[in-house]
Amino acid sequence: MLRRLLLLVPQLLLISIVTFILIRMLPGDPARLQLGPLAPQAGVDELRRQLKLDQPIPVQYIAYLERLIHGDFGHSWVNQSNVGADLALRVPATLELIAYGLLMMLLVHVPLAIITAARGGGTVTRLLKRLTFGYGLLAGALPDFWLGLLLIFIFFVRLHWTPGPEGRLGVAATPPAHVTGFYTIDALLTGNFNAFRSAVAHLVLPVVTLSFVYGAPIYKMARSTMTTALRSDYTTYAEGLGLPRWRVLWYAWRNAAPPVIVMFGVISGYLLGGAVLIETVFDLNGIGQYAVQAITTSDYAPIQAFVLVAAVFTVLVYLVVDLIHYGVDPRVRRTRKA
Amino acid sequence: MDVVEERPRRGAAGLATTARLVREARLSPLEVLAFIIFLVIVFLALFGPRIAPYPTETANPLLRLLPPSWAHLLGTDVNGMDIWSRLLAAPRTDVFIAVVATGLSVLVGAPLGVIAGYFEGNRRRLSSFVGEGILRLLDVVQAFPVFIFAMVLVAIRGANVVNIVAAVAFVNMPVFLRLVRGEVLQLRDRPFAEAARVVGNSDLQIGFKHLLPNALPPLVVQISVTVGFAILLTAGLSFVGAGIAPPTPELGNMISEGAKFMITGQWWPSLFPGIALGIIVFTFGVVGETVGRLLQPGGRPVRERGAELNVGAQQAVADMVQEKSEVR
Repeated sequence: MLRRLLLLVPQLLLISIVTFILIRMLPGDPARLQLGPLAPQAGVDELRRQLKLDQPIPVQYIAYLERLIHGDFGHSWVNQSNVGADLALRVPATLELIAYGLLMMLLVHVPLAIITAARGGGTVTRLLKRLTFGYGLLAGALPDFWLGLLLIFIFFVRLHWTPGPEGRLGVAATPPAHVTGFYTIDALLTGNFNAFRSAVAHLVLPVVTLSFVYGAPIYKMARSTMTTALRSDYTTYAEGLGLPRWRVLWYAWRNAAPPVIVMFGVISGYLLGGAVLIETVFDLNGIGQYAVQAITTSDYAPIQAFVLVAAVFTVLVYLVVDLIHYGVDPRVRRTRKA
Repeated sequence: MDVVEERPRRGAAGLATTARLVREARLSPLEVLAFIIFLVIVFLALFGPRIAPYPTETANPLLRLLPPSWAHLLGTDVNGMDIWSRLLAAPRTDVFIAVVATGLSVLVGAPLGVIAGYFEGNRRRLSSFVGEGILRLLDVVQAFPVFIFAMVLVAIRGANVVNIVAAVAFVNMPVFLRLVRGEVLQLRDRPFAEAARVVGNSDLQIGFKHLLPNALPPLVVQISVTVGFAILLTAGLSFVGAGIAPPTPELGNMISEGAKFMITGQWWPSLFPGIALGIIVFTFGVVGETVGRLLQPGGRPVRERGAELNVGAQQAVADMVQEKSEVR
């Protein structure tokens, strides 16, 4: 386990090197890019000195690391804002979307997989099996941004059940005071129920889109590992002992869970950047959308910050997944000790 | 089982052979359908722009946003271009980019995978170091979000077909590297590999001539899944404006152009390209799965890896899981 934690250090260093190289690969002078095309040459020269861009590459890299450690992500010339502050505002929006998406997968996809993996079952189960077979085939092939548009058309334009793609809150609702950055939680904590209702209503379609598309690999993984677990000897033995059905399913699930946990980790790592398209469609103003805007306007500091944050987040998620895996699966623990 | 040698009449020979093939391959109706659609897609990628009934890149302001009718089967878009015609022409752009990009990923990823897998844990320090180094480098590359990484690459080099192909190829390469490495790792200690070593093959010969061909079935499945994913990625890039720009017919930018009209009630410009996209990706998935199954000696099912589409990272899961089990 200690070895796993130690691995984090070189990983993070390598990530910072890659982001650094990416910036250096951008055509043009980073100082000029950061100040924008309209800034005077004297200012650019001044910034070059400040960022140590007139120094050799290794010195530049060290200077870059130093700025990162102090939480200085640079300056966006398009928004005239501090990138660190921008990120602090937008990261919660993305995390809120991902968190509820993953929660929905956990509450819908996983139980569904367990039920459909089991043999036999009544009419309802058989119907479910049919439906989920179709779902498994379909979900992975549909583009998420298109599905989002389709849901907007059906539920907003035609049925008027949900609000339109206007962001995280309706016009009438005032944003809740900042506690966690999650609008739904902050609104509840501060008793702002108007904002809570609005935030939930605005999250429904994006969360459904996200979990429909990205829940498919989780569903398939859970079903296939569960099927294997239910075919094993210990399941037959447990059934032979006459244990209640839910108990048998629970034993099987304990064995089937680890790969599913890994899959959850991979998906959440992917989604930090992968939710971009959903954020764009619903105008959620998340971190991915921020990066996309920055890329289209060649705003270089936000891109750099986003890539770094996303990569670090992914590495941390993998670490958490490994830790959970370690906690859930006793076999991993034993071999690591040896 | 009795073999009845009943030669079909000459004219029906082709059809009968096909029918026999289908029977022997035990294709399900779904798989047959997928193969037919696959042929249609290939045909469209080659000849699509030529058989389109209307010009595919010429705007006509008089025909803006007409709903589907007999003259315009799927309606017209914001520029007054016939959507059906553009749909026929679009696979050329999307499929071409995806296929070339995936080809590049395989060409780079598979050899590196052979090297990484073959030399991993090798007695010789240097070889082992190379194998290990490739993998650790890969970890870092894969930590970057696929979509944004592709976008940044395109932003650095400018949005044109060559750069999009390069970006898509680059982000998909690790998948093949990991897949081939995993296969080679399992194959390298099998008797046939030892036999090849005993008769005096060099390391490279064993790796490329003996181990790689045996890794083919899962590789084929992965290729078709990745082509599907690459199409989604290309369309996604175009959707946010970092891919193929409008007059060129491309599914992502068609959806993007129609997006704002979805809210005002004109659903047709976005709906149809999305369906086409879904069908194409789906077809590539099923066809790859089937071919992989048929390539496998004895028709054993290929590992359930190809079933998952869309999320590019999911292939890594299979390998992460596999790595975990290796640790045990």
